[in-house]
Amino acid sequence: MKQFDAVVIGAGNGGLVAAIRLLQGGAKVLLVEKHNLPGGFATSFRRGRFEFEASLHELNDFGTADNAGDVRVLFDELGVTDKIEWLQIPDAYRVIVRSEGLDAVMPFGVEAFIDRMESYVPGSRPSMRKFFDLGEEIRQAQAYTASVNGKADSKVMVSRYGNFVRCGSYSVNEVLRTLKMPQKAIDILSAYWCYLGAHLEDMSFIHYASMVYRYILRGVSMPKMRSHEISLALVSRILELGGEVLYNTEAVKILQDEKDGGVAGVLLADGTEIRTRHVVANCAPHLVFGRMMDKVTEADIRATNARKFAGRGLCMFLGLNRTADELGIRNHNYFLYDTSDSVAQYEKMKTIRENSAQATVCLNRADPGCSPEGTCMMYFTTLYMSDDWGNVSPKDYFKTKDLVANKLIDRFERDTGARIRDSIEEISVATPMTYARYCGHPQGVIYGYESQYWDGLMPRLQMMDEDHTVRGLRFAGGYAMRLSGYSSAYFSGDISGRQTVGDLKREG
Amino acid sequence: MAYKFKKQIFGFMDLLRYKKKVPIRRQKLAEGSPAPLPVSYRVNETAKILHPGSQQAELTGIVQNTPDTKTYLFRSEKPFFFRAGQYLTLGCEVDKSFVSRPYAISSSPKEALDRKLSLTVKKCGFFSGYLFDRAKVGDKFTLGDPSGEFCFEPVKDSPQVLGIAGGSGITPFYSMAQSIAEGTADFSLTILYGARTEADLIFKAQLDALASDRIKVIYVLSEEQKEGFEHGFIGADLIKKAVSGDFTVMMCGPQAMYEFAEKELAAFGLPLRRIKKEANCVGLRDVAEAAHKLTVHCGFETREIPASARETLLVAMERAGIRAPAKCRAGGCGFCHSRLISGKFSIAGADKRRLADEKFGYIHPCCTYPDSDMEIEVPRG
Repeated sequence: MKQFDAVVIGAGNGGLVAAIRLLQGGAKVLLVEKHNLPGGFATSFRRGRFEFEASLHELNDFGTADNAGDVRVLFDELGVTDKIEWLQIPDAYRVIVRSEGLDAVMPFGVEAFIDRMESYVPGSRPSMRKFFDLGEEIRQAQAYTASVNGKADSKVMVSRYGNFVRCGSYSVNEVLRTLKMPQKAIDILSAYWCYLGAHLEDMSFIHYASMVYRYILRGVSMPKMRSHEISLALVSRILELGGEVLYNTEAVKILQDEKDGGVAGVLLADGTEIRTRHVVANCAPHLVFGRMMDKVTEADIRATNARKFAGRGLCMFLGLNRTADELGIRNHNYFLYDTSDSVAQYEKMKTIRENSAQATVCLNRADPGCSPEGTCMMYFTTLYMSDDWGNVSPKDYFKTKDLVANKLIDRFERDTGARIRDSIEEISVATPMTYARYCGHPQGVIYGYESQYWDGLMPRLQMMDEDHTVRGLRFAGGYAMRLSGYSSAYFSGDISGRQTVGDLKREG
Repeated sequence: MAYKFKKQIFGFMDLLRYKKKVPIRRQKLAEGSPAPLPVSYRVNETAKILHPGSQQAELTGIVQNTPDTKTYLFRSEKPFFFRAGQYLTLGCEVDKSFVSRPYAISSSPKEALDRKLSLTVKKCGFFSGYLFDRAKVGDKFTLGDPSGEFCFEPVKDSPQVLGIAGGSGITPFYSMAQSIAEGTADFSLTILYGARTEADLIFKAQLDALASDRIKVIYVLSEEQKEGFEHGFIGADLIKKAVSGDFTVMMCGPQAMYEFAEKELAAFGLPLRRIKKEANCVGLRDVAEAAHKLTVHCGFETREIPASARETLLVAMERAGIRAPAKCRAGGCGFCHSRLISGKFSIAGADKRRLADEKFGYIHPCCTYPDSDMEIEVPRG
């Protein structure tokens, strides 16, 4: 029987990083992936003369060599930064909101961002300054918390990071109102909320501010050859370090030790048993506890049932036979909302019928050469805040897909004035069924567990230890302690990979 | 920092609230339902019907359509659904090697929901020869996932589609015609269907029975002059007679037909978005025979096998009984995505590798010929 120090289940962003960390810690590692490619959502696909990015809008917190963000620091440590060619994204975003008649283009850089906000919303400067000051303190507090593996000393927290602690229990809206930020500035600043997928009365301020601050502070990056380049770079590092990677290989069971119920092995779909005492699962606890383990404690079942699935994904990809200039697509990253009231918007995003909100990217605005001369490509992403796609029968599936595609196109044309419909050369639409198929996520969820007020970033980080309930089993990816998104998933892999190295060392 | 955040008049109330975050989450997790976790979910179940993956099927009938074409009827293990025009792979063990080939589906999407499927095969090579000569009712086969983009796409295509079919290239159009008739697709389809003689026309009776204001078939015979049939090849004049205004062209047939039709279509000045062409499988390479050594890592196994310079790496692996992933066999779908460890090679067909594949040394064995000894790592098929 094959034996490994650790098996990583799932070659998504979290699993890939976890595998490298384990190998760097001296472990013998097997990475199994049920799809034929690494990366999970971090991939690309070809249609006609286009190669589409499957999911990445921009990589946050990367920065440049002399202003490195946390993700770059991690990639440097993993030894992959130089395997990838990086591009900088020009502007942060353009947000268009129908009901408030809002249309703003926001830049990167804290000062530039504050200045631009002041030009749109005179008088917003003091509150924006406070927002970014809080952002910096949050960043420092998080760095401290990470440096002590989540076991922060509350005295240190209160004395050094008092603002962090005092704003730490509030939602985004509660804090921004306390800062006396003008409503219009709140509306513009709120644009990124759909990246985290919980509305702003529910989402923890710390989580949101920590993300926005990192976006604006260092700008964002994109790999030249789509996220597939990152995924293959991570795999090439795994192979350099002596790891084994098997594709088209689904792990169906985590075998448990008779005595302590901990990890004893992994059963693959073809019946192969792998002996190991450590698993990093880059998949949902719902799957692991729901069908991959025979003996699950009631506490784990309760804890898993208590959690709420975040957005189910839909992404439309268009290859257009004219340039972005010709079509009137001016920006790289658009957020199109019906209303700035994220609670009302969240409600509208529950149904296929009501939802046409979108985060839309024209990649050529960041990389003019990403598609053939005379063309451009776009991807339109939306989220569903309920299981409405579960109501779609197979027979109605393709029609429903077309209906949503048309809504997204109409919406984009109406809100931005661009004309794209008659220039579509290639179209592909990924729905919750697509994400369910490729990544196995329940209901086609792409954002893991929702960042609800009680299940946000900080309490998850603080409870990392007690959430580790099964000996030898740790989680990485969008369902884990750092929540979803590229950078978060990489960090979760970093944390779980290093913690498993620690577990192995303790075992001797 | 000079600024002190306070939401409540007394900042310590904010501190207290923060300290409750962990106990609150602990309590919420403990209060979750003790009911068993779901084993599956509706979206995931629907996904299994849209993408059943590899499944077993039983051959339930064989119909001879023309002297060199037969339609094979199957009952699949699971219900599934597809878009008319798609193909899937049919495979089985032949002389201890697992062999598979992609075939356009000739039955309708609705029938697949009842586990009924038919594939129409022209006798032209190794696997079709096996089917013609040896397959019998009751035999078990493996079906792959319905795949491919050779379908009507309502968001971008003109609602008027001109099909140009050559020989067995009629199969996807026959499925489309049935799909329109049963209501799973909504467009008008005019097919220019070329064959050598009337006896070579597949599905003529069925197509004639489906004819309506939205389904029309014009038969074009190259080696026969007959009442009720056009004569010659499918050219600009016939296209002009068949369609006017905005239309989307879909072509399925042999390479020679594509070359001829593309020249004829040039007069219409259609943009690329209006033309779809189904890819043909990559075949033999016309070079001198040379025997190379191919080292294949698959799962935990490593094997050394012979590989002919005239054949693709995929064929070499199939000959050696290695179950490598195979789907489109034209370099397009990426299903056989494999890592190159060493060796020289040439690529045929459409090289639809991703940019990063080339950078990090990945290839598609279905369209890659060896130019030296090679070593590759292949996922399990």
